[in-house]
This record gives sequence, structure tokens and C-alpha cells, in this order.
Amino acid sequence: MDPKIEVRELNVWYGNHHVLKDLSIKIPERRVLAIIGPSGCGKSTLLMTLNRMIELVEGARVEGRCLLDGVDIYNPGIPLTELRRRVGMVFQKPNPLPKSIYENVAYGPKVHGVKDRRKLDEIVENCLKVVGLWDEVKDRLNKSAFELSVGQQQRLCIARALAVKPEVLLMDEPCSALDPMNTRIIEKLICSLGRELTVVVVTHNIQQAARVSDFTAFIYLGRLVEYGPTDRLFESPVNRLTRDYISGEFG
Amino acid sequence: MRRLDEKLIPVLLSTPVAVLILCLLWIVVSIGGEGIQALNWSLLTSSVLEGGIFESMVGTLYMLGGAVALATPLGVATAVYLVEYAAESRLNHLIIQAVNNLAGVPSIIFGLFGYAFFCRFLGLGVSLLSGWLTLVCMILPIIVSGSVEAISMVPTSFREAALALGAPKWRVVKDVVLPAAAPGLATSVILGVGRVAGETAAILFTSSVYLMRGLPSTVLEPVMTLTYHLFVLLVATPGGMTGKPFAMALLLLGLVVSLNVLAYIIRVYYRRRW
Amino acid sequence: MEETLKSFDFLKSLRRMDWVKLILMTIASLSIVIVLLIALFTISESIPAFSSLGLDLLLGDRWAPYYGRYGAAPLVYGSLIVVFGAVLIAVPLGVLSAISLAEYMPRKLGEVVKPMIELLAAIPSIIYGFLGMVFIAPAITKLFGISLGRTALTGSIVLSMMITPTIVSISSEVISSVPREYRMAAIALGATKWQVIRGVVIPTALPGIAASILLAFGRAVGETVAVLMSCGCVAKIPSPPWNLLDPVHTLTAAIALDMGEVAMGSMHYHVLFGLGVILFVITFSVNTAAWLLMRRAPRRLIKV
Ligand SMILES: Nc1ncnc2c1ncn2[C@@H]1O[C@H](COP(=O)(O)OP(=O)(O)OP(=O)(O)O)[C@@H](O)[C@H]1O
Ligand SMILES: [Mg+2]
Repeated sequence: MDPKIEVRELNVWYGNHHVLKDLSIKIPERRVLAIIGPSGCGKSTLLMTLNRMIELVEGARVEGRCLLDGVDIYNPGIPLTELRRRVGMVFQKPNPLPKSIYENVAYGPKVHGVKDRRKLDEIVENCLKVVGLWDEVKDRLNKSAFELSVGQQQRLCIARALAVKPEVLLMDEPCSALDPMNTRIIEKLICSLGRELTVVVVTHNIQQAARVSDFTAFIYLGRLVEYGPTDRLFESPVNRLTRDYISGEFG
Repeated sequence: MRRLDEKLIPVLLSTPVAVLILCLLWIVVSIGGEGIQALNWSLLTSSVLEGGIFESMVGTLYMLGGAVALATPLGVATAVYLVEYAAESRLNHLIIQAVNNLAGVPSIIFGLFGYAFFCRFLGLGVSLLSGWLTLVCMILPIIVSGSVEAISMVPTSFREAALALGAPKWRVVKDVVLPAAAPGLATSVILGVGRVAGETAAILFTSSVYLMRGLPSTVLEPVMTLTYHLFVLLVATPGGMTGKPFAMALLLLGLVVSLNVLAYIIRVYYRRRW
Repeated sequence: MEETLKSFDFLKSLRRMDWVKLILMTIASLSIVIVLLIALFTISESIPAFSSLGLDLLLGDRWAPYYGRYGAAPLVYGSLIVVFGAVLIAVPLGVLSAISLAEYMPRKLGEVVKPMIELLAAIPSIIYGFLGMVFIAPAITKLFGISLGRTALTGSIVLSMMITPTIVSISSEVISSVPREYRMAAIALGATKWQVIRGVVIPTALPGIAASILLAFGRAVGETVAVLMSCGCVAKIPSPPWNLLDPVHTLTAAIALDMGEVAMGSMHYHVLFGLGVILFVITFSVNTAAWLLMRRAPRRLIKV
């Protein structure tokens, strides 16, 4: 099967700081890929290169290729807005827009041209149901999104990302700010989303990676050290660094 | 000695503060005291020819309305460009410099410039339009710097959230940044209004006349304003020191003070919402 | 097929993006254009005056425009003496208030008091002129037993009320932004609060305080209506020159008073623009000096 995303010899610099080094990886379609590695190794950077959010960082420079369905996303002919619709992102800190709960979810579809009110209502309801928020908020859809708890906010952000029907969902430590209950809900959600679309999730929590992912990639100092099916990687890591990291010797 | 130090100095230092607050109160009381007696409905609604101030009051509103309506989009657009589109470019630097310079230009020079450029060079004459354009130049820096501050306070995470959904930049600005910055933008506009309301020197020879029949019917006609009418009344009319001038001064003072209080309330109320 | 569609879409979006940016850039550049136009028109209208009068315009000691005498020295002197008087009053008042606000006043109280002081700066100058004329001038007459109450001193008092808020608001901000560590060192040595303020806080904040004074100075020099109404408008250097109880005339007041009556294109007209240029040079240099000083303030307070 062709990979959904293929990264070839990716190099990223922030100014003179060489962060990702010759990184190549094939990300399979409709699977969950977990990216693990110690702090500062470049996990977030890798995610940001996959939907070109990295271009918002001043002084960032990207070399190498990033193919989405075989097409290089850094090709100047690629419409950025369409790329980001196809490759959605969930941030580490929940970042609802300063709008109502409804508008948060409806904003993406609206931007991409959905005008019909009934269609929007339907999208909002579906997406909120997927993240298990519908019953909690259906009576206060017009209230500010900031009135939700942090965990609810993060689920709202996931619903918002799903509302534009992405093919890939990038999640940067989506549970790191959350309580155990919300973490569990989101982990379940990741597992089920992995059947519909391609999910790339960065996590510091090794157990979480084991629980939610089909594949795991271990990055160390900007290089891809080991990559394989999650079961295999956790049971019999080939590289000593991977073994040490998984067993918690450092990180 | 040491104790005395610690006790006496705060008291001593609060004296100048008290003096300043007393100045403010004195201004309000001395203008307000006589002004309130002179202020009545017929003064406000009757024409200047019958001893009223109707034309200059409405003229001031015309002045305000036009200048602010023109300056707000220009100022906000400049701020959006500076914060959202032109990080650290050479042009950005020049624009900031220009805005800072404009902020320091005395209003009488805006008056001279407005007369030479708008009235004469562009042939607009002494008119409402010339006044508007002159005042736009004058309050542009107020609106720009207030808006820049308001827009920079909008958290980056809002922009990231919208951009990550695939929203084009201009939509992020329109849908997310500007609404989030709205209270700050409003504050800067209100301060601009306050500045225009009390301005005399800049409209002295660009748009105002002491006396005219009725209100201007086109933007190319001059206009009466509270400040200019009061100015001439005080400078050129000996013995005009009771009644009407106090009422006009009180109106101006009331307008400017309430605008500033409003701006203050907005600023406090919306401080750090996120 | 899909590829061509996509690239079409891209071109469309590219064109739209650039359009927005282009419009914004044009509007933003307007500020630069305005500054240039102001310089251009004020200077070009003054050229006939400078070319025929030369330095006499600046140094000539007789201002009698209706007799063809255009010496601006009394005006420049009048502007300066009124402003110096105002600054003399405003500096102690403003700086001490700033210290009190930043260091001693409870936060809650300060949050009410500071905007009230700043309100003083927002009150229209015509109102200050009015007050100067109607209340302060008569008080001066009575107090000093002179016949005319509209003097340099009257102008200074009026102006000082208008410019003190500038000093208070900027200085208090500069003072509060002096880093804690600086104070800690002195406190650790057992200094009292006042000793810390005098020995550490004020010296650190000094460039910022100086900048605030310069900005206030710049604002005062450019002030028109309030000064015009309270300074007497007699274009003569007082005798002795430091006599604040003589009436004076200022650059701004001369422009404001005469501009309405000059014949278009006459020498008098061009001379008034010449006064504008002189005024602009003064305010511009003062403001620039203030900005340069401000850069040395503890925290960057440069807004915009
Ligand atoms: N905007 C930036 N400018 C300069 N350097 C940066 C920037 N963002 C990140 N870096 C540096 O790049 C390296 C990789 O950062 P990145 O955020 O990708 O790490 P990470 O693996 O996500 O770490 P964490 O687990 O702490 O989130 C780090 O050394 C970091 O200091
Ligand atoms: Mg990270």
C-alpha cells in the first residue's frame, strides 16, 4: 500500500540550529502513528512541517521532500489552505477560538465554503458526537468556548479539526494538559479515528503510545532512530537508544 | 530618623498627586458651576442667530463623524499591516517612524499643512472636507498605535488555530484577530474622537467659520464648531465671559471627559480576557 | 485534471492574498506620505520668506508683521520662556507624583488616580485657555499688583497643567519597570525604601524620566490655543528677559492669530509658514532626543 505521507531526507533549521537531520519516514494510510522521543528532539517540528505551519516560525528553513499522496506539499503550486484542510492539527494546549462552541466547529467548514445552515448544523452535531461532547454541550452551543473545561476544550478542538473532513490529523501531545478521564476519552477517540483517517500523534507518554498507535517512530536528536509496528518496537527494540528510552532510562 | 523617613516621605510625595487631582476638580467645578446654569434646552436648540449654539454643536458632530469614519479604517488597516503582514521589514520600520513623527507634530502645523495642501493645493477651500482630512492626519497616529497594541495582544494561538484549519490569512484577520482586538480598537477610536472633539488649532483655518447661516449642505462648505466658536467668542469679543461661553466649555468638557471615561471602562472591563 | 484545477485555485488564492496585502501596504504607507507632504508643503510655502529675509527671520528682534517687520526672535523667546516656566512647575510636580504613584500608592488607588491625572492631558486646550483667561489671569493681576494678568507666567501655569500628566504617566511607568533585582541588592544592605528609591530606582529610571520631560516640553512648545489665550500676545522680549510677569507672544500664537487675516501669497503668509518650520524643527529635535533617551530606559517602552 502506498504511504499517505512520505517524508524524504527532511532537514529543518531554526536559524542556524539544525533540528531535523535527514529524516525519512513513510506514514501509512488509516493508521495511527505515534512519535516519541525526548524533549527537544524535534517531534513538534516534524509535525509542523507536515502541514506547513512551520512557515509561521520566523527563521525556519525546510529542505527535503514531504509527499502527501505522492505530491510534494512544498511544491509552490500547492494551495496552502487546501493542504491545511486535508492535514488537520490539534495543538498541545487547547486553543479554542474566541467564539461560541457552535462557531468553533462551524468555522472551518464556513471558511471552506459551506454556507447552508442546515448542513453546518449537521456537521457541528456529528463532529461533537464523534468527540463525545454533544450531550455535554448541546444546550449551550451559543456559549463561549472558554466556558468549557480544559478537557472539553481539547475535545472541541478535535471536533473543530474533524469538521473540515481532513485526511490526516496531526496531534501534538493532545493530552498533556488534561486530567485522566479526558485523556482516556481522547485516547479512545484516537484509536477509532485511526480507522477513518491517518493520525500522527506526538506523545511523551510511552504507555499512551503503546495504547493508541499502530506504528511508532522514535526520534532522537533530530534523527529517526527506529520505526516500526508498535508491538514489535515495544517488545523488541533493535536500537539500544530506543530500548533505553522505552524502559525509561532517560527522557 | 529612619522611622520619620519612612512615615513622612509617602505623605510628602502624595502632595503633588493631590495637587493634580485638585486641578482636575477645580477645572470641572469652575467650568461646570457656571456652565450648568447657562446650559438649557433653548440654548442647545436655537440657532446662533438667536443666541443659541445649535449649529456649532451639530457642526462639531459633523467634524467628529467624518474624521473618525475616515481615520478608523486607515488606522486599523495600517495596524493590521504592521502586526500581521510586515514583520520586521524595512518598510515596517519606516511606517512606525512616520507614525511616531506624526504623533509629535503640533496641531497648529497640521493646520498650516491642511491649509496649504487641502484647501489651496487640492482646491478644497475652507471646508468640512479639508477639516476632515486635516484631522485624519492628526488622529491617525492615535488610532494606529492603539490598534497596534490591541492587535498584538491577541494570542498567537488564535491565529494558529484558524490557520491550521486552512483559513486564508485575510480571513484569520477578519474573523479572528479583529473581533478579538475589538475592545482595544474601540478604545483607540474613542480616544481619537476625544482628540477631535476638543481640537481647535488644526481646524482654525482649514474648515471653521465663526458665523454661518445653517449647517453645511455639502462637504465643500465650511462649518461652525464648538471649539472655534468659543475661541472667537473669547478672543475677539470683549466681555463675553459669562453664560454662553461657560455652557459651551462645559459641553466640550463633558464630551471629552465622558469619552475618556468610556475608553477607560472598556479597557478595564476587557483586560486580559484570555 | 485535478492538478490543473488545483493550480487554478492556487493562482486565485495567490492573487487574492497579494491583493489584500497590497492594499494594506498602500494604506500603511500613507503615514509616510503624510509626513513627507507635511514637510514638503510647510517648507515650500516658507521658502519665499527664508530666501528674502534669510537669518533675519530667525534673529530679527522686531515682530510687527503689519509694518513689514518679520523678526521672529521675540516669538521664539516667548515660546521658550513660557515653556521653561511650565516645565519648571511641571517637573517637580510630575516626577514626585510619578514616584508616589509607582512606589508608594496602593495599586488599587493608583489605578484610579493615574487615569484621573491623565484626564488632565485630554481636556481640550481651548478649555485651558478659557481658564487661563477667566480665572488665572485675574488672580495674577491681584496677586502681583500688575495691570495685565495675561503674562508669560499665566501661560506657564496653564501649560504646566497640560503637560504634567505626560511626565507622570511615562515616568511612573519607567519607574515601575526598574527590575526588582536592582532594588534587592540595596534592600539586602539594609537601605530604607526611600534610600533605595533615591540611590537605585531614580538613577536607573533617569533616562526615561528625562525623556518624559522632553516629550512634555515638545508638547508644550507646540501648544497653541491655551497659550494664545493666556500669554498676552505682545511680541516683545520682556525686560529683564527673565521677567515672567510681562506679556509675551509665541510662535504658535502668532501663526494662529495672523493666519486668518493674511493676504494669500503675501510675505506675511510665507513668514507664518517660516514660523511653522522653526516650530517644527524645535519639536522634532526635542521629540527625537526623547525617543533616543527612551531607548535607554530599563524596559522598552517604545510603543507602536
Ligand atoms: N521557534 C523556534 N526557534 C528556534 N528554535 C526552536 C524553535 N522551536 C523549537 N526550537 C528548537 O528546536 C528543537 C526542537 O524543538 P521541538 O519543539 O520540535 O521539540 P519537541 O521534540 O517537540 O520537544 P517537546 O517534547 O519539549 O515538545 C529544540 O531544541 C528547540 O529548542
Ligand atoms: Mg513539542
